[in-house]
Amino acid sequence: MDPPTKIEDPRADANGDNNHVSKKPKLSFISEPEIRQEFAHHKPGIARINNGSFGSCPASIIASQKRWQLRFLQQPDDFFFNHLQRQILHSRTIIKDLINADHVDEVSIVDNATTAAAIVLQNVGWAFADGRFQKGDAVVMLHCAFQAVKKSIEAYVTRAGGSVIVVHLPFPVNSNEEIIAEFRKGLARGKANGKKVRLAIIDHITSMPCVVIPARELVKICREEGVERVFVDAAHAIGSIHVDVKEIGADFYVSNLHKWFFCPPSVAFLYCRKSPLSPDLHHPVVSHEYGNGLAIESAWIGTRDYSSQLVVPDVVEFINRFEGGLEGIQKRNHDAVVEMGTMLAKAWGTNLGSPPEMCPSMVMIGLPSRLEVLSDDDALKLRTHLRDHFGLEVPIHFQMTRDGEIRAADGDGCITGYVRISHQVYNTLDDYVRLRDAINQLLSDGAVCKML
Amino acid sequence: MASLQPFNCATPKPKPITPSEIIAEFSHHDPSIARINNGSFGCCPSTIIAAQQNHQLHFLEQPDNFYFNILKPSILKTRQIIKTLINADHVDEISIVDNATTAAAIVLQHTTWSFFSTLFQPGDSAIMLHYAYGAVKKSVQAYITRAGGHVIEVHLPFPLKSNSEIIEEFRKALQMGKANGRKIRLAVIDHITSMPSVIIPVKELVQMCRDEGVGRIFIDAAHAIGNVKIDVKDIGADFYTSNLHKWFFCPPSAAFLYCKMSDELSDLHHPVVSHEYGNGLAMESAWIGTRDYSPQLVMPEVMEFVSRFEGGIEGIMRRNHEKVVEMAEMLVKAWGTELGTPPDMCSSMAMVGLPPCLGIKSDADALKLRTHLRVCFGVEVPIYYRAPVEGEIDPITGYARISHQVYNTVEDYYRFRDAVNKLVKDGFCCSFLTS
Repeated sequence: MDPPTKIEDPRADANGDNNHVSKKPKLSFISEPEIRQEFAHHKPGIARINNGSFGSCPASIIASQKRWQLRFLQQPDDFFFNHLQRQILHSRTIIKDLINADHVDEVSIVDNATTAAAIVLQNVGWAFADGRFQKGDAVVMLHCAFQAVKKSIEAYVTRAGGSVIVVHLPFPVNSNEEIIAEFRKGLARGKANGKKVRLAIIDHITSMPCVVIPARELVKICREEGVERVFVDAAHAIGSIHVDVKEIGADFYVSNLHKWFFCPPSVAFLYCRKSPLSPDLHHPVVSHEYGNGLAIESAWIGTRDYSSQLVVPDVVEFINRFEGGLEGIQKRNHDAVVEMGTMLAKAWGTNLGSPPEMCPSMVMIGLPSRLEVLSDDDALKLRTHLRDHFGLEVPIHFQMTRDGEIRAADGDGCITGYVRISHQVYNTLDDYVRLRDAINQLLSDGAVCKML
Repeated sequence: MASLQPFNCATPKPKPITPSEIIAEFSHHDPSIARINNGSFGCCPSTIIAAQQNHQLHFLEQPDNFYFNILKPSILKTRQIIKTLINADHVDEISIVDNATTAAAIVLQHTTWSFFSTLFQPGDSAIMLHYAYGAVKKSVQAYITRAGGHVIEVHLPFPLKSNSEIIEEFRKALQMGKANGRKIRLAVIDHITSMPSVIIPVKELVQMCRDEGVGRIFIDAAHAIGNVKIDVKDIGADFYTSNLHKWFFCPPSAAFLYCKMSDELSDLHHPVVSHEYGNGLAMESAWIGTRDYSPQLVMPEVMEFVSRFEGGIEGIMRRNHEKVVEMAEMLVKAWGTELGTPPDMCSSMAMVGLPPCLGIKSDADALKLRTHLRVCFGVEVPIYYRAPVEGEIDPITGYARISHQVYNTVEDYYRFRDAVNKLVKDGFCCSFLTS
């Protein structure tokens, strides 16, 4: 059992008056006008349907963060010696309970999933260097893994002499079974030369294209196939789907709190399952706490602004102002985004990239083939055009056809472009209506991507 | 340092800052504390805090647009300002990172790869000062010792009377390091050591390293920018890092890492690998995943702020140095002790001997005394324990590192003087303090 940590409220005044920490009776849930006020700093006129990329932070959390920043600036030495570590521990304890980890030691707080990937992969690099892994030993990744993670694999695995097995998953996709079958095939093929697989990196929710992966089942397959360790990149997961790290059963699990969990940029947790074989993970920025465990190392990596890591208790309070708390928010976001996605697919005569049960708070919708999204460049051009000319913020995905296989088409041709819409508590119907109308406008203008 | 013209020559000359405006700029500092420790965590004026919050808001209000259209050009502006400040040749040589700790990890991980690829052999050495910052020592352990490298620590005497004592010890260590035909692959040298705080004659040490065939030289100058003059070409090292949030008024945290142009430059990488991997360290460091980059974006506002002081940053540095020496001499006179170094080896910080009767007998005692001064006297000042040398009679074993920054007043130092006088009068001894 972890010892109880003292809750410290930065709003407490100099006399130590902690009255506002005591529980107020809940009178009512947060209202629509209050939600609008919380996000009033979002640029007006922009239909912001891309919460997935950079997340969002309510005004009351921004205010809480500023209070923590001020505490440091007022008397940094006192803050460093007497408050910082305790507050980080408090955040870690909350996260541990949220994700159903056993020990708070298993929960480290880092900047983002990119940093977590560097931690896990640098450890793999060391293993190659000191001979624990042999040249040619493999790391498995998904073809649609986040680009930064792919680069990290190049930097720490390929460079150290490791090989990479790339597993392609189908998209658009119709069921979990399709993913499980493809993964099993891809993994077996990759191991064909008797390669030892040291690490598998599996997304819980892929970024582009966005699909909820049956992570628990894939982790099981990895274990069955003798994969030594499994790292789940769940950057999008916390605050959008149910997270239970024991159930998923991976060795490492990371998620960003600034995407769907209302924290300011940036803060993420890296869960590392405790076991006698737990590798000796280190934060790559080495400071005074080197050797005291990853969680303690990560809590001091030199003088920086740690305030985004300290607002987690206030975020929990914010979330509980919503009906159903986090689960309520997740469910409503999911239902709304599926409803909007269905509306758009119908309006454009296209398809959803995956069935509703494989969508988190984001959904992929096919773009009419007449727009001719034929490359990554086209996708980026279209995205920029939508931002500059329609005030729409939404990422576009170019889906290459594999082996000539046409998985989706509309009346005019193959569907190769998808839009990824997000729904967070600040979104309104109008955001998606504007997207619908913008695409229809482009179609009626006869626009194609390469002309934009 | 290149002379500082206003960054945009079309703007009117800024209003000179008045004493009451300076007080207002730092009014968020805890008024009950005599804050004579700028060296540890730096400081940030309200104008700059406001500028930072403006940048933060630009991200929060439309993050995609910020990422695609604003962030990189803003970081480039910062890099250009720093290039001019430190007399570097190319802006490509300047990367912005969180702090010197991160810069050390970048340089040291580069050395690790050289050991892995057998470019370096097990037993090849790195040389560093015994007074190197604790975090850097750990980083050397994590990246060099662990990879099979040997580490030579140069012990410098303290207190010091002149640069020649430093140069002599370093020369001896270099000789020893090369004994048995060993190769010294990397030298890690502080420009201003942290504890005890001393300005190191880096230009001379770099020259000695070159003469003795040391592979690469990394200057940890965490305290330097805004504190002493920096001319990276004149110093001649391969890598040079300094924190902008210590003495250059940036919010936590931002630092630059200068890497002299060379073929190896393309092989330096930020340990947090993201989309820009392989596009050069400066590009890599400008995007290491979603984070708050706002501390890196306020340099234009900081340049405007410092230009409001007479003589700009050079005037600030000169006055800080003169003041801290004046206060240090006042204190040693009041306590009957000595400075740790002559004034010309002090930056905007000075080591002031504490009365031996306080009985500082260990690092733990030094920390306890520091806490006691904070809690009972409202004085924030770090204490250094200096182990006595055999044969010394009644030596000074504790030194306070006092800082002077634009917000300090003489009252801060009088408060410290009186606190120590009281402790002495009361017959205080560190052994009275519990942990």
